[in-house]
Amino acid sequence: MRIRSQLPLILALLVPVAVLAQGVASRNALPVKPAEASGLPWEAVFVDSAAEAGLDLEFTYGGARQKRYIIESNGSGVAFLDYDGDSQLDAFLVNGSRLEGFPDGEAPTSRMYRNLGGGRFADETASSGLGQSGWGSAVCAGDYENDGRLDLFVAFWGRDRLFRNAGEGRFEDVAIAAGVAGGERQWSSGCTFVDYDRDGLLDLLVTQYQRFDPATAPPPGKTSNCEWKGMPVYCGPRGLPFGGVTLYRNLGDGTFEDVSETSGVRGVRDYYAFTAVAADFDGDGWQDVYIACDSTPSILFLNNGDGTFTDYATEAGVAFNEHGFEQGGMGVGVGDFNRDGWLDLVKTNFADDYPNLYRSSEGLFFEDVCVRAGLASNPRYVGWGVELVDLDNDGWQDIFQVNGHVYPELDSQSKVDESYGQSNLVYRNLGGERFEDVTSLAGPGLRAARSSRGAAFGDFDDDGDVDVLVMNMGERAALLRNDLPAGRGWVRFALQGVDSNRAAIGAKVVVSSGGARQTQVVTSQSSYASHSDLRVHFGLGSAEQIDEVSVVWPTGQSEAFGPVAGGRGWLLVENSGEAAAVP
Amino acid sequence: MTTRRPGWALTAALVCLPAAALPQAEAPSGAAELADRGLEFAQAGQERRAAELWRQALEVDPGHFPALFNLGYMHFAAGRFAEALPRLESAAQAAPDDFNAQYLLGVVLQKLGRGVAALRAWRKALEQRPDHFQLMQVMAVEYGKGRFHREAADLAQRALRLRPDIEDLYHMAIHACREAGDLRSGLEVASRAAGRFPRSARAAFELAWHLQRDGRFDESLPLLRKAIDLDPEYEEPHFFYGDWLLKQGRHEDAVAPLREAIGIRPDYMPARIALARALMGLKDWAAALAELNQAARLEPRHPQPHLLLSQVYFRLRDRARAKQEQELSLRLRRQNPAFLEAVQSQPFPD
Repeated sequence: MRIRSQLPLILALLVPVAVLAQGVASRNALPVKPAEASGLPWEAVFVDSAAEAGLDLEFTYGGARQKRYIIESNGSGVAFLDYDGDSQLDAFLVNGSRLEGFPDGEAPTSRMYRNLGGGRFADETASSGLGQSGWGSAVCAGDYENDGRLDLFVAFWGRDRLFRNAGEGRFEDVAIAAGVAGGERQWSSGCTFVDYDRDGLLDLLVTQYQRFDPATAPPPGKTSNCEWKGMPVYCGPRGLPFGGVTLYRNLGDGTFEDVSETSGVRGVRDYYAFTAVAADFDGDGWQDVYIACDSTPSILFLNNGDGTFTDYATEAGVAFNEHGFEQGGMGVGVGDFNRDGWLDLVKTNFADDYPNLYRSSEGLFFEDVCVRAGLASNPRYVGWGVELVDLDNDGWQDIFQVNGHVYPELDSQSKVDESYGQSNLVYRNLGGERFEDVTSLAGPGLRAARSSRGAAFGDFDDDGDVDVLVMNMGERAALLRNDLPAGRGWVRFALQGVDSNRAAIGAKVVVSSGGARQTQVVTSQSSYASHSDLRVHFGLGSAEQIDEVSVVWPTGQSEAFGPVAGGRGWLLVENSGEAAAVP
Repeated sequence: MTTRRPGWALTAALVCLPAAALPQAEAPSGAAELADRGLEFAQAGQERRAAELWRQALEVDPGHFPALFNLGYMHFAAGRFAEALPRLESAAQAAPDDFNAQYLLGVVLQKLGRGVAALRAWRKALEQRPDHFQLMQVMAVEYGKGRFHREAADLAQRALRLRPDIEDLYHMAIHACREAGDLRSGLEVASRAAGRFPRSARAAFELAWHLQRDGRFDESLPLLRKAIDLDPEYEEPHFFYGDWLLKQGRHEDAVAPLREAIGIRPDYMPARIALARALMGLKDWAAALAELNQAARLEPRHPQPHLLLSQVYFRLRDRARAKQEQELSLRLRRQNPAFLEAVQSQPFPD
């Protein structure tokens, strides 16, 4: 007979294990069940019409089943723009590449699709001169020459491109001559045209995600920055060299001067910067810039009015979430969801986190009201493109959010209950205080689970509602046609600057109808690395006309325009005082 | 022939186990005799002599389990975990079905910071005693520390099935389910706990928390009040209620419960931060500054008070002080990332 000792079971004897991190900011957020559904009908139904429209590009972006490096995962933006001046929205799709490269002449390129009307597009890539290959990431449009033709800036890992619109559907890359090509190995990830010095010329701000070199980047699983829930994945962004921000000042002769140092934007360091949105957030008449950053605080460059910027994101409450956590920021939408006249922000983040809904008060101070507003019910998504946009023309800006995980390896394992493909989300604005998830009511276009990135917004079929163009990793783009039944009023404004930059980028438009005031801004980039229609679209609900339209032009000057009828588009030319009907 | 474990080990026993058969048939009798003599010395307090005899036993039979185990235990008891490890590894190898050997090996591995290996050893121990709910508790904690929250939740619920009369097991299961993101199971366990322990403030609070997460705040509120009534010194229900009001934008209403929480526990940092945010929402800048400065004094390494201080000064148009606090906050964040960083769950490695 042996007498066996029994050993103490003491919880307290346990020593703490080292705190392990992961490569991206995420905070194990749990879903907050939303309040009961409103029961109101939702009529904005989306149908993916990309195939019938002729948008046949299948995006290439790194490995399909495994991503060895972060460059393969972030995808790219898309654009809705009228590049040929026919008042119809064309579609520009920024494409990527593969690390192993392609045989000569077989590399995929970005594509320009011209809108033919009737819901059809024609591939004009070859004739447009936009068929550049490489790791494209972001796009923004603006008329930097004020010649009435929209130019395109496309950000790359590698040299950036400035495509000057030469007219007759042709573009030429003038980035090197213009001085905005950047470095050969830099990874530009966002851009926006912005007239920061109010000289009537569009300047250009470019964000860099990081300094990336596959020769020095660690392989998957190498460190705790290369894991996702115990699964070895590509490393980063944490642990990889930070990017930065570059500001180019337009000299008016077709060239730009790098003013990053003197303007103060280069003084902001240690960020993984993505989408950039320019607007006058504090209402002082000068354009500011908000930048969504991944796994680092986001940036709010307030324009000091003297050619310099200062980052006040922390102070203003838009650097972190409400608890001060860094987040994996990706995309940004700007609008005025509560119709108080101040510009609010919606930002998408990485998985296991909520988006941010930063409600502005007095223009300078923001509060993250995401949970209160009902946006905390879907933390499992990796959010990318996003916008505050009135999808059902009821006069309140809703939220469209596109999603997609970054690790395709999730689909070949069973331990983590997540998948690479994720559906997109639609939230209805319930009167400016609360949103509700109406994705299940929003039609077949919302049912597909893809790994989406950029999204652009605009009425490509000219039927009075806002459609959505979405970039999908390794798949065809989605052209989500909004089949909202006729019935609610709407109006659309194209703006033309005279003293201001001709594309009126940065202008704020306020419409008053039926006692309600709505506000929108003309932006060169928003969502995720994307460019949406420069025309601003307002839903009017039951109203049929606008009592007044006022514009704060990028110069800071305000101008009022008289009553206009709804159900059509109008052209607002600076200093004209009159709205002109457009077909 | 009798082989015994040292008496000093018995004093710490929580649970008595019957002896398990050891593979002694092959061992030379000399090793057993040496080991028994070593045990006698150990019981007499002559540990050095005991260790010498056990080592001699191992020279005769390198796989002699009692000698291996006792040497390992002796090192463990003296806090010499690195020396204990090889002995206990060999002991566990010599007697893979021995609960104590696997358990103690796990403890030593855990002491050495090798949580995953410890859990593997404990898993083997649990195979021998599948009803050992106390070990399940230890393992659930360790799973949680390793971020293996799914495994922690499963094990905690298993322990609960064995001993539904122990309230702590409910709370362990609720916590593990929450960490694993399994709110449905958490709510189910919390409901059972509240039903079984109607006088428990914590059970009432946990159920209230889950009901709120489930969008049922109307049902949650009476439970919060009940938790407060049952234990007025329980700070969490006050904080939780105040924080919920804050999230709804009801800043004025949030102040009183948050002050209650702080009154009970002055170093309750989340409550102080929430109170400061409520005061900021009320534009009571002086009171917010006072709260934040107090919070910064209580936890000088924490970035959050300085982050909010930067916002208050910004609103007061003192941009210089705002920037100063922002920079301090950022520096503290980089120096102490654990304050404002959540680490994700992961599956236990195969």
